[in-house]
Amino acid sequence: MPAFPYYNAPAIDALNSQAVALLKLFASRGYVREEPAVLQPAEIFLDRSGEEIRRRTFTLMDPSGRELCLRPDLTIPICRQAVLDNRSVPARIAYNGLVFRHQPGEPHRPTQFFQAGVELLGLENRAAGETEILSLAVESLRVCGLADFSLRIGDLALFGALVDALALPAQWRSRLKRHFWRAGYVESLLYWLGHGDGAAKLPGTRAEIEALLDARGDAPQAGRTREEIILRALDRAAEAANLRLDAKVADAIARLLDISGPAAESLANIRALLKTAGINLDPQLAAMEARLATLKALGVDPARVQFTAHFGRNMEYYTGFVFELWARDKEGPVQVAGGGRYDTMMEMLGAKSAVSAIGCAIRTERVLAAKSAGGA
Amino acid sequence: MAGLTLAIPSKGRLKDNCNAWFAAAGLAMEQTVGARGYRASFAGFAEIEVMLLSAGEIASSLLAGDIHLGITGEDLLREEAPELTGRMHLIKPLGFGFADVVVAVSSYWVDVSTMADLDDVCAAYAQTHRRRLRVATKYAQLTRGFFAQARISDYRIVPSAGATEGAPAAGTAEVIVDITTTGATLRDNGLKILDDGVILKSQAQLAASLTADWSAEARTACEALLKKLDPANPLYSALSAHLP
Repeated sequence: MPAFPYYNAPAIDALNSQAVALLKLFASRGYVREEPAVLQPAEIFLDRSGEEIRRRTFTLMDPSGRELCLRPDLTIPICRQAVLDNRSVPARIAYNGLVFRHQPGEPHRPTQFFQAGVELLGLENRAAGETEILSLAVESLRVCGLADFSLRIGDLALFGALVDALALPAQWRSRLKRHFWRAGYVESLLYWLGHGDGAAKLPGTRAEIEALLDARGDAPQAGRTREEIILRALDRAAEAANLRLDAKVADAIARLLDISGPAAESLANIRALLKTAGINLDPQLAAMEARLATLKALGVDPARVQFTAHFGRNMEYYTGFVFELWARDKEGPVQVAGGGRYDTMMEMLGAKSAVSAIGCAIRTERVLAAKSAGGA
Repeated sequence: MAGLTLAIPSKGRLKDNCNAWFAAAGLAMEQTVGARGYRASFAGFAEIEVMLLSAGEIASSLLAGDIHLGITGEDLLREEAPELTGRMHLIKPLGFGFADVVVAVSSYWVDVSTMADLDDVCAAYAQTHRRRLRVATKYAQLTRGFFAQARISDYRIVPSAGATEGAPAAGTAEVIVDITTTGATLRDNGLKILDDGVILKSQAQLAASLTADWSAEARTACEALLKKLDPANPLYSALSAHLP
């Protein structure tokens, strides 16, 4: 697709009839269509998502100097509205619309494209929510007439649970979790765990830290409270004192991160690895097996379901189960749909308490391109 | 129309240093105030037009291919074009205009001394305060690249036009990325540089635009100029390997 797509009559018809089919499917499952404005206040995207989304977001100034942006996705404005409306849960919301992404360094990618998708907010039964969304994603492609696709799945919570099972200071656990999907980086963190991180040693008592702060009374607090700084300094000192990871365990993590392949086989490998390391992640593995069972029940060939341990999407808000559906267009493999769990988003957007959330989005133009390449 | 255009800083210490460097190489610059702005020429190099521009304009003119050669800070060049390949060639570092682009935080943050600490604080801040930590800078590109390298994503950049070092005290940002020579301004504002927070050790560079119109006259004039400026080094043959 060109950077600035132009839609002719056949392209519009194809997109429209596909969208009608998708929205009909979503409606049949109780998803009510909503549509946020194309032009959004920039701060909900810029403050609440990371620099990666900001880098891809077109921003502009309105004549009064207010910063606006073209929506880079529909999930964030839809969730934001659900928070503002104090929507009763579970809420099922469907959408179909344009999103806009700056593609730095990739001038051949389109700056705007359609996404059709669903968000399932506040369903307490997480397994049921995952089955529902995963099924919808698969059925969406089928409704569009695309039968030939494969899946990549992963689970950020699996790695999180693994790290929680390790005897490590809290900061290091959160650091490992935050970076789990960044190939190479976690390995270097593991290295530091074995060899120390070279950080300056801080005094270990509250009184000593308070004295340090008092001596710097002229320096700006720069947005953090005194207590915040003291607590982290105390953590930092405590962790420096007992920062060590058993080589056997570090090795198990590294090998687990390497696992990638047909899902059933990968799960078996993980089980074996965890057994050697003496770590129990049965609930997380059972959840993954339930997802595989869902796919099997949908008639998806298990050989076409790939599990990748370090698989995380580029969008920064996913927190658990993640999946992508892939097909081929005339140029090669393309991701035609994707989704996952993002349980911290609603709180980030201002909800009073945590709201479970999971959703998926279909790249409808790519689905059409894949269909025409496959002759379907 | 002259064969080769060279832009040099129009004011300040960079300008003085440039003039001293030209004088040492035996080049006498004759400045004239032309109708279209500041122009100058070198005695004996009629085919070279010298333009006096601001340091920032020199970087963007090089990137746009509006001038052949320019002298400006490497920080500005790298900010203008994070990927230099195919766009600019750095001919020679000039040994003046030294400055570091650094990540600095309040020295009140006694628990933060490395980028890894900052990463922890960014993540914790996003959770506690429900918004991203703000980094004030005029080096948005350099900051993005460096933070990505340090695997930090929970932050946002606040563009700063000047007096960036005041942002943490003013409450417009929590962290800054700024240029410093001695660190004194940062210290005066209660800030400290992170141990591994040096993004770029910058100095003035003689740079060539690879997208300018390199006519035969321009090439000839450039070769003569570079030979005059630095007879000991084959600067032109290194450059010509990159020219289209």
